[in-house]
Amino acid sequence: MKRFKFIIGSTVIALGLAYLFASGLSQSTSTHMTLRDLAKQVVATDLEGKRIQLGGCKVVPGSIRWDEYRHRPAFTVADSTYSLEIRYVGNAVLPDTFKDEAQVVLEGYYDLGTNCFEAQIVFAKCPSKYEGQSYEGHVQAMNADI
Amino acid sequence: MVDIGYFSLCLALVAAAYSIVASVAGARRKHLALIRSGENSSLAVCGLLTVSVLALWHALLGHDFQVQYVAENSNRAMPLLYVVAALWGGQNGSLLFWGWLLSIYLAALVLVNRGRYRVLMPYAVATLAATSFFFILLNLFAADPFKRLPLTPEDGRGLNPLLQHPIMAIHPPMLYLGMVGMSVPFALAIAALISRQLDNTWVRAARRWMLVSWTFLGAGLLLGGKWAYVELGWGGYWGWDPVENSSLMPWLVSTAFLHSILVQERKGMLKVWNMVLVILVYSLCIFGTFLTRSGMVSSVHAFARSNIGPFFATFLCILLVFSLCLLYTRLKDLRAENRLESFASRETAFLLNNWVLLGMCFAVFWGTLFPLISEAITSEQITVGPPFFNQVNVPIGLILLFLTGAGPLFAWRHTSTRNLRTNFSIPAASTLFAAVLLWWLGVRDFYALGSLALCTFVVSSLGLEFHRGARARSNSTGETYVLALYRLTVKSRRRYGGYMVHLAIVMLFVGFTGKAFTTEKEFVLELGESTQVEDYTLTYEHLVHSEDANKMVHTASLALFGGGEFLSTLLPERHFYKNVDQGTTEVSIHSSLREDFYLIMVGWSEDGSAKFQVYINPLVNWVWAGGIVFVLGALWSAWPTARERRLAAMDRVSVQSLSP
Repeated sequence: MKRFKFIIGSTVIALGLAYLFASGLSQSTSTHMTLRDLAKQVVATDLEGKRIQLGGCKVVPGSIRWDEYRHRPAFTVADSTYSLEIRYVGNAVLPDTFKDEAQVVLEGYYDLGTNCFEAQIVFAKCPSKYEGQSYEGHVQAMNADI
Repeated sequence: MVDIGYFSLCLALVAAAYSIVASVAGARRKHLALIRSGENSSLAVCGLLTVSVLALWHALLGHDFQVQYVAENSNRAMPLLYVVAALWGGQNGSLLFWGWLLSIYLAALVLVNRGRYRVLMPYAVATLAATSFFFILLNLFAADPFKRLPLTPEDGRGLNPLLQHPIMAIHPPMLYLGMVGMSVPFALAIAALISRQLDNTWVRAARRWMLVSWTFLGAGLLLGGKWAYVELGWGGYWGWDPVENSSLMPWLVSTAFLHSILVQERKGMLKVWNMVLVILVYSLCIFGTFLTRSGMVSSVHAFARSNIGPFFATFLCILLVFSLCLLYTRLKDLRAENRLESFASRETAFLLNNWVLLGMCFAVFWGTLFPLISEAITSEQITVGPPFFNQVNVPIGLILLFLTGAGPLFAWRHTSTRNLRTNFSIPAASTLFAAVLLWWLGVRDFYALGSLALCTFVVSSLGLEFHRGARARSNSTGETYVLALYRLTVKSRRRYGGYMVHLAIVMLFVGFTGKAFTTEKEFVLELGESTQVEDYTLTYEHLVHSEDANKMVHTASLALFGGGEFLSTLLPERHFYKNVDQGTTEVSIHSSLREDFYLIMVGWSEDGSAKFQVYINPLVNWVWAGGIVFVLGALWSAWPTARERRLAAMDRVSVQSLSP
């Protein structure tokens, strides 16, 4: 009897956890891509509504165009072969490390109409300047709605 | 000085190696002098590493930029505090610092237990010396902090301005003290396994070390959150970043350990489980270091990707294989002395608490490593964001909160239904009352309502515990109620200190719950213009630009009114550091126990109009206040009781009379 109860209890807990995991995952996943992956997928697959994390690229020097109050910029990112227009649409103030040549990771959606990427979150770090020393350097902008 | 530092690092390596050999050989042959010699040489490791650390500090403070580490992590313009803190600001230095702390722990363990735990100590010393050996090796061959540059630069690169904050000077050492300290319980566990002294001795020896390390780690986590809150300007304090997660995981598992050893000490159960937990805690500390330094998971923390990843991976593998194999061979000797007698018992509550904490840890682990897991399975790297962690951990956290309150209401072995009903009646009634009251006040968010109601549950159950204990003592001794309450908490420090920590956890949960009610607004103001944000009125008065050698500062000055009364002047700033070409956002916060008014200046226009962003974060101060209560409660609990001090003295005397 005890054993039976134990099994029932564990199953309920395991199912509960599995449900939590599954529902959590369905809400907040984004697919990590490089510019090359994105370029391939733009042609091959449907990117509508797919949340993308874009990595491995840098801000093209001189490409940052701020709005009047230095809040939401448009800019270009590039790696060795590809480049892409980015529009920042998030609410947060961009991290202080966001500037020319900063290595950025962007999260958001690809807009097929304008061929530009709408970033809701921008992470930025400057590895060249702070190699090995930015201990615990959170440099992030969190979107207010997450 | 630099050469002395390097040289003494080399000597420390030798001393650590000798300490391992002498301790193990001494224990095997029961050769007391050899064991002592092993212990003494571990003291030497501590002394030698201290010399190394002093040498590096000397180089930092003397601006010896020929040393690569000094050039990369400090400059002349930095205030003294940050130059001192630069010792652990970069990778190589932080590894030296880690090794040094480890050697301090080792020396402390040796000194505290000169006359105690004689069976365990040699192997514990050997285990810790082996860990020191690894870190010194790393410092000598992969991460040399004393490496010189071919030519001396004029000035160093300095520290990222974001990190030039007093909290950042103490947050890393706190985390390190926590993580490094957790190697002591691990070493004692390994010693118990090797020496086959598998009764509760090792648990008694390890408990306080774990408790203190756990306190450091917890305080470190909260300080990190505080720093993020005041410095990063996104209105939050926890972002579920891999680096944060990697220090949260060992904390969760060590919390489980601190609870489950109570069951072992009391009932002789969960012996294998406790071994697994302590191994897991230590492995997670090493794993976290590996994860954050190897660049395996992309983190917003700008750690350099470096070559030390493989070293840590190898160390972790050896650690896991060795300790788990060792545990496997000792399974026979770790049989439980008792069985679970009833589901309605304190033991079950502890067991559930352990599962919940491990479940939480697993969820964090899973989410942190999900990019790697998904890439291995589907070849697509999928990352998960904060919503995943919140979605999973909020309900688990609420179960944990419930258990925090319910646990003390159960008796050991078995609680009769009648007792349960009596014990639960008051807490349950107050919970219900709180829930209705909150609903009536307009709280509709399910989790927030549940969390606050459960907080009431825990507080009333804790209050009941204190009250019953104090009343019983007062009745039997004739002391006044207040005196009885005080004596009670002093006499059973461990128990009532634990309850204080539970109270801190409640305060933390109240603070976390506030997050559900955060509001955010952005707006543009002309000079002299006012705006309304909830019950506050904000008037934009001045914009001032100033400049010093280091940076340009732009300060907006705003008057904050609430309910018609002037509250304070808020001065949000933007700094631009010239030599590193980077800005920082300095938020301005009007803080009360009810909520924080958190103001950021986003930017300004030529005509002086400026854009602001406001977060109203209810209850956030409860988190910091909870942190203080947490530390106090944990220290209360760790402090030796009068009885323990007497026992320790007796131990020492008895051992001295036995030794030749």
